[in-house]
Amino acid sequence: MTSSKMKLYNKEVERIKKDNYSNQWQIDTVIGLRKYIQEHFEDELNLSLFSRISFVSKYHLLRLFKRYYGQTPKQYLIDMRIEKSKEYISQGMSVTEACYAVGFESIGSFSTLFKKKTGSAPTEFQKRAIFKK
Amino acid sequence: MRIRLLSIPVSNQEEALNFYTKKLGFVKKLDIPVGEGNRWLTVVANEEQDGPELLLEPSPKDFEPARVYQKELYKSGLPYTQFSVESVQGEYDRLVELGVEFSLKPTVMGTAKIAVFDDTCGNYIQIVEML
Repeated sequence: MTSSKMKLYNKEVERIKKDNYSNQWQIDTVIGLRKYIQEHFEDELNLSLFSRISFVSKYHLLRLFKRYYGQTPKQYLIDMRIEKSKEYISQGMSVTEACYAVGFESIGSFSTLFKKKTGSAPTEFQKRAIFKK
Repeated sequence: MRIRLLSIPVSNQEEALNFYTKKLGFVKKLDIPVGEGNRWLTVVANEEQDGPELLLEPSPKDFEPARVYQKELYKSGLPYTQFSVESVQGEYDRLVELGVEFSLKPTVMGTAKIAVFDDTCGNYIQIVEML
């Protein structure tokens, strides 16, 4: 499609790509970090580790991730762990097992975050999951 | 307050139901007649049938400003709504096979991959995969 015949939206996509996403090195770094979190969410993860594996200073990495994904690596990690724990509980795992399997270190913080993110306690979620079966 | 329902204006509800269920793979949830041939017609994602519902809204048929708005969005190729997918390329290949037309082929935009297709009911819809 020639540029003059291109629809307005397609032109905008080209413009946004050029204006906002021209730094491929930064994009590759944050995509790499997100993939690392997806593959290692059950491990003990922190910003220092992310910084070491990405060869980028901690605070720069934090800013980059937030700029491109709209949330910090830690917020993304929590969301990821909660989603995985929902999956595990629905598959029949106990709440305690799911809590440790996704990388949380205490039932208390897991339950608090689970309720905050999903609106219900893990035990309530488990009851509903059993009922659905 | 919760997000329970989102609307999408469609030029023909029956055709929209066919497209959204048979091609996109959504599931019909509610179908209630509301007079003058219109229906309260909602679909949900197959994998998340207790999730938010999408109302296939007949407003462009009965409400001129809605028709004009939809027409102008369509003319510009602006996607009114977007859906999240596991693989944009996979969905693109599957939908092209089913005869769905794309105005934007799979394109990487920074940390996302997007594509835009015509829903044949007056809208462009964007699919998104986070990279």
